[in-house]
Amino acid sequence: MQQDLIRNFCIIAHIDHGKSTLADRILQLTGAVTDRDMREQILDSMDLERERGITIKAQAVRVFYTAADGVTYQLNLIDTPGHVDFSYEVSRSLAACEGALLVVDASQGIEAQTLANTYLAIEGDLDLIPVLNKIDLPAADPELHGGAVAELIGVDPASVLRISAKTGEGVAEVLEAIVARIPAPSGDPDAPVRALIFDSVYDQYRGVVAFVRVIDGEFTKGDRLVAMQTGREVATEEVGVMTPTMLPTGRLAAGESGYLVTGLKSVGDLKVGDTLTLARKPAAEALAGYREVKPMVFCGLFPLDADDYPDLRDALEKLSLNDASLQWEPETSQALGFGFRCGFLGLLHMDIVRERLEREYDLELLATTPNVEYHLTTTSGEELSVRSPVDLPPPTNTESIREPYVRCTILVPTDGVGAVMQLCQERRGQYVTMMPIEQRQQIIYDLPLAEIVTDFYDQLKSRTRGYASLDYEIAGYRESPLVKLDILLAGDPIDALSMIVHKDLAYGRGKALVERLRETIPRQLFEVPIQAAIGGRIIARETIKARRKDVLAKCYGGDISRKRKLLERQKEGKKRMKQVGSIEVPQEAFLSVLTLGSSSDGNGTKK
Amino acid sequence: MVRHLYVHLPFCASRCGYCGFVVEVGALDRRDAYLDAVRVELGAERACLGALETVYLGGGTPTLMRPHRIATLLEDVAPHLAPGAEVSMEANPETVDRAAWDRYRAAGITRVSIGAQSFQPELLAVLDRRATADQVRRAVACAQEAGFASVSIDLLFGVPGQTAAQLAADIAEVAALGVDHVSWYELEIKPDTALERMGVPLPDEDWGADAYETIVAELERHGYRWYETANFARPGHECRHSLAYWEARDYLGLGVGAVSTIDGVRWRNRSALGGYLGDMASRGRPGRTEEALEDAVRRRERWMLGLRLDRPLDTVWAGPPDHPDALARLADGGLLEVSGSRVVLTRRGRFVQNAVLHQLMEFV
Repeated sequence: MQQDLIRNFCIIAHIDHGKSTLADRILQLTGAVTDRDMREQILDSMDLERERGITIKAQAVRVFYTAADGVTYQLNLIDTPGHVDFSYEVSRSLAACEGALLVVDASQGIEAQTLANTYLAIEGDLDLIPVLNKIDLPAADPELHGGAVAELIGVDPASVLRISAKTGEGVAEVLEAIVARIPAPSGDPDAPVRALIFDSVYDQYRGVVAFVRVIDGEFTKGDRLVAMQTGREVATEEVGVMTPTMLPTGRLAAGESGYLVTGLKSVGDLKVGDTLTLARKPAAEALAGYREVKPMVFCGLFPLDADDYPDLRDALEKLSLNDASLQWEPETSQALGFGFRCGFLGLLHMDIVRERLEREYDLELLATTPNVEYHLTTTSGEELSVRSPVDLPPPTNTESIREPYVRCTILVPTDGVGAVMQLCQERRGQYVTMMPIEQRQQIIYDLPLAEIVTDFYDQLKSRTRGYASLDYEIAGYRESPLVKLDILLAGDPIDALSMIVHKDLAYGRGKALVERLRETIPRQLFEVPIQAAIGGRIIARETIKARRKDVLAKCYGGDISRKRKLLERQKEGKKRMKQVGSIEVPQEAFLSVLTLGSSSDGNGTKK
Repeated sequence: MVRHLYVHLPFCASRCGYCGFVVEVGALDRRDAYLDAVRVELGAERACLGALETVYLGGGTPTLMRPHRIATLLEDVAPHLAPGAEVSMEANPETVDRAAWDRYRAAGITRVSIGAQSFQPELLAVLDRRATADQVRRAVACAQEAGFASVSIDLLFGVPGQTAAQLAADIAEVAALGVDHVSWYELEIKPDTALERMGVPLPDEDWGADAYETIVAELERHGYRWYETANFARPGHECRHSLAYWEARDYLGLGVGAVSTIDGVRWRNRSALGGYLGDMASRGRPGRTEEALEDAVRRRERWMLGLRLDRPLDTVWAGPPDHPDALARLADGGLLEVSGSRVVLTRRGRFVQNAVLHQLMEFV
């Protein structure tokens, strides 16, 4: 197809602002999907995504649209993920497009994420079409929010489309606007091939499937391609487009988006952001790639049943086939046995991986408290990266420790400013700036990432009655006075409960943690002291009481099997506990530290 | 050959709020048919009966069978009894008087276990008990006058709303009555009971532990030996039938829902009265569900049952624990004592025997 009849676009929206519904409506309206086949939110194809209402994997769908001018256009909708953990995937999607729909909920207005992604799109030189969605809602305020959106991207408020993706109202106008306002691709169809890999998935029958946007030239099935950064040869076993099901076309040309079956075995073999070119006639220069994605959050994953260790490894291997950002390496814990230290993009990514391991691979897992990667310099001048508190060398050998900071953008109604600032201060935040947006305030803080991987987001939501929205970007490493806080049960340090904390917060955290553990760990057969220590000095202590009564009241002839089965069920229940020495520790205990922030300020404390 | 016989007599006037047993309410017109069926079942099992050392008539409310039916039943049993056999029967206080006790005794009953549960009207109401405290006192006194070899009463603690003062009053009542044997259970909220449906909360562990410790200490002070987890006896009045269970001996159970364990096989008769009667009428034996007890299961049951007693468990007989190394740790912690091949829980260990058991055995 001629390039001037092609439009590549994506949708930028906050979670729940209606991106998926709008995408579905576009597919329906262009006949890509019949009404009968219409499943709610087709693009979110994984169950987990649909359940959580989020999109993880970017995909490209091609539809044909006959516009009011009577001409039929090829529209390529590149899907974007909507959560902060996956913001790097947004920049990939943006790079494959010439324009974007900026979808904002007409009752909620702009959220922090929308803002961040909008800036990314503007930086990427995309043409933006502002769309107010959900105008059918009683709470919709299109005047106010439409004005703010127009101001944000510097356009006439009259150009803001007002639609309801749910009812379909205004969606036709969106399609017209895509054709009219988004520029056609302008690559050189005759130049050597350059195709941007913006995503890849692993399919168990076909191997790695790459999603590409062709900028220059064209390639056909059977061509040998080369990934320009890695030099890896890539087969083209099949070439096609998503309609949204895979439709082989045999070729992809400049301006088009589609997929190719590569014959590779793991998504790790193919770098997203790399440029594909023809092996026999390579391009001189690669396209600008993306910044490399690195895991930011780490935790240990241990099978509750030690026998499941090989199964956990297999499951991680399988997940990695499709998730190049998931990192893992074997880890041995004295308390928890054999497991893996895993690296994730963020907390949501961690949750999703855990849930998939438990749900799809039927594993029962224990996850340790998440932490970040610390950089440190030893007294001998050696540079170390530490991803687990256990690996932190003693203070006497440490010259300096640096921790990752993030720049947080928080949007909150004016009456929530105080609460947000208080929270940020409690979490060692450094104030950067604040400015009004619509009727809200945009607050910017630099915060240690370690402080937000625990319950920061939950606290932010609860302290602002759900009104605050958050986005963050990595802001480099800064030196901090950090110490390792050890937890001892019955006098033995439990490695899986160690944490790295700011020295000024260590006492409060230690005290709160032992209190929380006393509440979480049930009574044991013997009394168990719980202690918090820094470098051998005990800073807090609590005691788990010994059990006083645990009997099966009545046991007669008719009951013997029943009582035995009751004991078997109790044993089954104990499997949710981890045996640490002779102490039974419930899984929640290993996550106690996650909710510490809420107890230290006396707000939202459990029990 | 089996030396212990249980007969289940399921009829009740009403169902108590905590009861999860196999009972039949409003079916008194089937008592004769049931008696006949049980007698047929006894006849069918005759071959496995040795000289019976103990017989136990449990329920339900056995005393609703009335003395003449109990007499008929025991006529069939009598030829199998060993000399000096213990023949126990459970009784509800409101269903007996002095004359009835005399007739039960004449029929061959040697030991009665009277279901008191409490002497506090408020608690009896929570439990849906029909008898008043006065009826309990009278039933006990009459049984003692009737001259049974042993008179026992059943009580409960941990009844929702129970206070320490109410518990002390119950203990005082027991001591004043001077019964030979006491069974004092902690109330369990069983599935499908009225208490469960009401969502009544049980007292916390500390309250329960205080109550339990008080009961043990007070009954010991009054001359009762804490010979099993929930049972107390004056010298020579231990329930021999129950001891057979705790010593993991074989027993035959007759009647609806009754359980038997013989030669490593356990079976349960079907638990619906109509089905049981129908089976007996059509085939002469009830439908049963069978469970073969593997060696490991029998070993774990011996430990589960044996540690309930105040006398040592012989590990040569019971078999080794699944976690032998736990023995030393538990002994160091003051929860049990090991002497040669014999293991016995200490006083503190007995209060947490369930947790101790989980340290020793792997219930899978």
